[in-house]
Amino acid sequence: MFDDGSKIVKLFGLSFNVGNCVAGLVTAIIVCAVLIWLSRNLQMKPTGKQNILEWIVDFTNGIVKSAIPDAQGSNYGLFAFVLFVFIFVANQLGLIIQFVIGDVTYVKSPTASPMTTLTLAFMVLVITHLAGVVRFGFKGYFKNSFLSPYPALFPIKLMEQFTNFITLALRLYGNIYAGEVLLKLIFQLAQSHGLLTFIPAIPLELIWQGFSVFIGSIQAYVFVTLTMVYISQKVEKE
Amino acid sequence: MYSTFLLGDAGVQWGDFLFYLIMFIIMLLIVKHFAWGPVTKMMDKRATKISNDIDSAEKARKEAEDLAAKRQTALENSRTEAAGIIDRAKQNGEQQKASIVNAANEEVKTMKANAKKDIQQEKQDALSSVKNDVAELSIEIASKIIQKELTPESQKELVDSYIEGLGKQNGNR
Repeated sequence: MFDDGSKIVKLFGLSFNVGNCVAGLVTAIIVCAVLIWLSRNLQMKPTGKQNILEWIVDFTNGIVKSAIPDAQGSNYGLFAFVLFVFIFVANQLGLIIQFVIGDVTYVKSPTASPMTTLTLAFMVLVITHLAGVVRFGFKGYFKNSFLSPYPALFPIKLMEQFTNFITLALRLYGNIYAGEVLLKLIFQLAQSHGLLTFIPAIPLELIWQGFSVFIGSIQAYVFVTLTMVYISQKVEKE
Repeated sequence: MYSTFLLGDAGVQWGDFLFYLIMFIIMLLIVKHFAWGPVTKMMDKRATKISNDIDSAEKARKEAEDLAAKRQTALENSRTEAAGIIDRAKQNGEQQKASIVNAANEEVKTMKANAKKDIQQEKQDALSSVKNDVAELSIEIASKIIQKELTPESQKELVDSYIEGLGKQNGNR
């Protein structure tokens, strides 16, 4: 029903969704540009933009610390920080600009595509397991992750890894995608019967956009928090 | 072409997967180099500076307390010292006074004794000189008397004159 109008390009035997890649690139460029701009001219006594940057760093560090209280946590500060900023910007991007040529969407929220969120979740999955192996060695990691507290729970523990991965990705995707779909629906409603529906659609769209900004922020926070919780499950003895 | 309920009819875009993976890693590196690194370094630096400042403030406070205590003890010492000095001065004064008075008494005594001696001496001298004079006078008188001839008239005259002299003396009195 709501086909994004994605354009698939085959390259080196891999299929690329052009809109998704462009949106991701735009997001990454925005993230890098903003962070680099914020981190210029750092001073001992923070002022203006440095305060903003340090506030974000403190915020993500707080997320990390609440999940991994010991010294281990400091290793994941950067990852949490970049993940949070990236997902936050990605969530808001689709609310600010939707760039459509013909019926192909080039710029939207990258997180409104399951491929993006699955990639991020996969990255998280790999990092959590790697962290466990690095911390305890392969044997210790296996025992800690799958055989504790009871070896009998092994099948559930094994399945948990996949459910964690899938739910982490789909939660983000579902929230953002639903937000965009509803935005489009309201837009279509506005166009459907001329002025009669155009005027009431304006406040509706406004309210839903505001709510989407809220949801996008919450989801970025939730994603990072859960990531850190999953890491802590792997690096801390239960 | 396979399809999944989730990923639509187009299938899994492994290209996107790879693209995002690589992009995220590059972004991670860029952010680490340009934003995260400097900011965390600055924050660490600030944290250490603040803790150093707190430490040094604590040290300075302790030093100030020590100095105040030292000053207090010095003040007390100087007070007792001053009191000691005043006491000693008083004692010295007292002693000096006593010795001066004693010396004065002594001197007065000796002077008195000397004066007495002198007076005695003078008296003695005067007495002896008077004795000599008397002796000389008597000898003179005696010689004068002896030089005159002892006649009854002259004797009588002499006695009369003597008695007259006595009467005159009595009349004068």
